[in-house]
Amino acid sequence: MIREAPRGGLRGALGAALPFVPLGVVLGPLFGGALLMALAQSLGHAPWLGLRAFPDASPYVALWSDPAFWTSVGLTLWYATVATALALALGLALALAMRALPGARALATVARLPLVVPYALGIALALATMGQGGLLSRLAAAAGWIDDPGQFPRLLHTHAGWGIVAVYVWKQTPFAALALLAVLTGLGREREEAAALLGAGRWTILARVVLPGVAPGLASAGLICFAFNMGAFEVPLLLGGGYPDTLPVLAWRDVSDADLSRRLRGMATVVSLVAISAAALWAWARLLRRWMPPR
Amino acid sequence: MTRHRVVLWLAAALVAAPFAPLVVQSLAFRWAWPDLLPATWWWERRDVAPAPLAWDYVLSPYSRVGEATLNTVGIGLAVTALALMVCLPAARALARRPHPGLEAAVALPLLVPEAAVALALTVLFVRAGLAGSYAGIVVAHLIPTLPYATRLLTAVWRGLPPDFEEQAALLGATPAQVMTRVTLPMLLPGILAAGLMTFLVSSNVFLLTFLLGQGSVVTLPTLLFAKLGGGALDASTAGIALVVALPGLALMLLADRLLPRDAWAKGFGA
Repeated sequence: MIREAPRGGLRGALGAALPFVPLGVVLGPLFGGALLMALAQSLGHAPWLGLRAFPDASPYVALWSDPAFWTSVGLTLWYATVATALALALGLALALAMRALPGARALATVARLPLVVPYALGIALALATMGQGGLLSRLAAAAGWIDDPGQFPRLLHTHAGWGIVAVYVWKQTPFAALALLAVLTGLGREREEAAALLGAGRWTILARVVLPGVAPGLASAGLICFAFNMGAFEVPLLLGGGYPDTLPVLAWRDVSDADLSRRLRGMATVVSLVAISAAALWAWARLLRRWMPPR
Repeated sequence: MTRHRVVLWLAAALVAAPFAPLVVQSLAFRWAWPDLLPATWWWERRDVAPAPLAWDYVLSPYSRVGEATLNTVGIGLAVTALALMVCLPAARALARRPHPGLEAAVALPLLVPEAAVALALTVLFVRAGLAGSYAGIVVAHLIPTLPYATRLLTAVWRGLPPDFEEQAALLGATPAQVMTRVTLPMLLPGILAAGLMTFLVSSNVFLLTFLLGQGSVVTLPTLLFAKLGGGALDASTAGIALVVALPGLALMLLADRLLPRDAWAKGFGA
């Protein structure tokens, strides 16, 4: 890699910062500014609503003493964790298959399709297949297992979240697969071949060579999928079991409420969502680092 | 080898199979439970329905599919142009002098839940008078797209060592000639990959458009969401869902044609 020699002094520092100015101008106020304002609002600062109570922790007190909020936290974390784990496991299998069969381009293209369509399409597919009048229910009837749509197990619109997890996994498995495939390609196959020559079986190679090798890919793809699942809105809204919903839906309901104190509570939910998600991401990164030491 | 083939077939089947009921439903006249195939297809009732009812609706102006497609493409193009302009200089600097802290900061929008950013941004935009405007939506779409664009473009600049530009300059090329004859031609495939990826991400954004558009700007994802609101899936919704899949499919096939095999890999965190 070729690096430019650093220039010293104030001019050098300004010159080095200049290329990042457009990026900073966009991301700073939009992303950072919005989140800071959410924090200020959740603490009672909303003069445009006639509220000047800053700093006032009462929105948080109201929110955190509500058992429904903690149910919502649990559901949000549960759906996000299960879906991320499944997408990573299936994504690794898919990545290994894509690497082994580079000629099967048509199959690989079909398998990658979920990556390029909106989540709303995944919801439509879940309704068409997993609903009580859907394809699986009709197949169960054809097999003679049920004779009324009501007898088909409710996979959608329950707090168990089968439909939510199915859509996340359907959409994110190709994402994980492409990220892991890039890592696998970068690693090469020498270590796997050496292990095979030394007599290691298929599962030993997977556990001792492949998994430690793709750990960085598992970490970054897992972080992105998990963060997305924590902040997903339309999937839990349309396929979930209703109140108490996941945190994003809960926050949306409160923020769009006519009652001003509900709106502040909604912003407290937004801030809580960011904090809980950040804590979970940090724990996941630490866990991975301990589980798979760097090579 | 067979094991891998089974995995690949299974993955393709699990992706494709759920589309079958959508296609059937959009062509059915009457499809009651528990029939696996419709009791009456639309062509058996051509006396009442000269075209499949779902597709008749999708192609009519009432469905707003045309408007939503135009909006999706227009917003996507504007977002792509802006994202490239914003990211190219930063990516060049990151490629020449790696800075892990800055790279992590640029990736931050992927790690903060989208709903939190979107809800917080809505309040900001309503106060700034940007809510419900195309400009507001385009600017908001930069949040989820910039991390991908920056990563892909950084990889692109890394593939262009400065010696090529230096040699052209030594041989007497003016800075403008260096840019048009050396830098841009070498970067173009990479810029194309980053542009297609940015467009793709933008065209799939739902929540930011839904909240910031305030119902006045309809794109393909928000159109499908509105149709799904009832919780059930009728024939016209099935038709719209199939149409919504088309732009992504077309872009993926285009990217497979135009781009080297793993052109997008570096955007996915590898």
